[in-house]
Amino acid sequence: MLPLVGLAIGALVAVLLQPTVPQDLSRYVAMAVVAALDATLGGVRSSLERTFNDRIFVISFVSNALVAIALVWLGDQLSVDLVTAVVVVLGIRIFQNVAAIRRRLVGG
Amino acid sequence: MHRRPSLVLAAACALLGFALVTAAASAGDARRAAQPRKSELIDLIQRRRSLVAEQDEALHLLRGEVASARRQLSRRSELDRDAADATTALAMQAGTVALEGKGLAVTLNDSARKATTEEDAGAFRIHDSDLQLVVNALFAAGAEAVAINDSRLVATTPIRAAGDTIVVNFRPLSPPYKVSAIGADRKAFADSEIARRFDRWRGLFGLGFSVRQREVAVPAYAGRVAITSARPS
Repeated sequence: MLPLVGLAIGALVAVLLQPTVPQDLSRYVAMAVVAALDATLGGVRSSLERTFNDRIFVISFVSNALVAIALVWLGDQLSVDLVTAVVVVLGIRIFQNVAAIRRRLVGG
Repeated sequence: MHRRPSLVLAAACALLGFALVTAAASAGDARRAAQPRKSELIDLIQRRRSLVAEQDEALHLLRGEVASARRQLSRRSELDRDAADATTALAMQAGTVALEGKGLAVTLNDSARKATTEEDAGAFRIHDSDLQLVVNALFAAGAEAVAINDSRLVATTPIRAAGDTIVVNFRPLSPPYKVSAIGADRKAFADSEIARRFDRWRGLFGLGFSVRQREVAVPAYAGRVAITSARPS
């Protein structure tokens, strides 16, 4: 319950403050968001599996986002579309995490 | 190490929510930033186009004033009248006065049918070369003054294609193409190679092609006619 409240509060703050991201950086922010989404779902999953460790969670949350940003940046430098690679990998992980959470909750 | 996860997770979720909304908003900004450039360009083109139309109109009015001033002047003396007659004759030949008279109105149009293969597509459309051939045939049939879609043809008029658009006097035209030719003989034009070809193509491809003999009017040429570089050799 508390995580959902946190999500709502964060979104509300962003809507109220309307922070602006420079055009060039918006790709990186988007990647960081996908990475953070993956880490958060992993955290929810591990908390349901009772293996949650806040140190691991915080480190994975931050490092996931940083690695995603670094990969996109590297891809830009090499003019290789690494965005696709990051999105595909994180997308798969998000699906796996969601599937695990679903199994925990409804036992399907 | 099994601590209560809720607080840390909630904080992470708050951060996620914040970043999510921010990223979504900035992605929207990026799209909006790309969009106006396109509509700005379209606006610019339309503004310039209407400016050109306005100036064409102004030029037309001014030319009319010049002509009437000249007429007034010509009433003064015999000499002036001769000069005015010569000017009028020259203007008629150069195409800077609107003319009317018996002639042919030829209408050309793209086919309403769709080509079945990519290679055929050209056969179902009117091309710049078609217009060139039709105009040439009209001149050969005795035309003295010709206009396409109210754009007067003069000695320096190009009929060209820019992509899929036919450009006459540097102004893009859109179908149907109405060619008015004063003085063109109906029979001579109907006997021409291109008219016969078009009669055939009308059946084969559904191209629009009609020739009518009637009183036609052609407008004055709106562009510049002055000669600056050339001189008699």
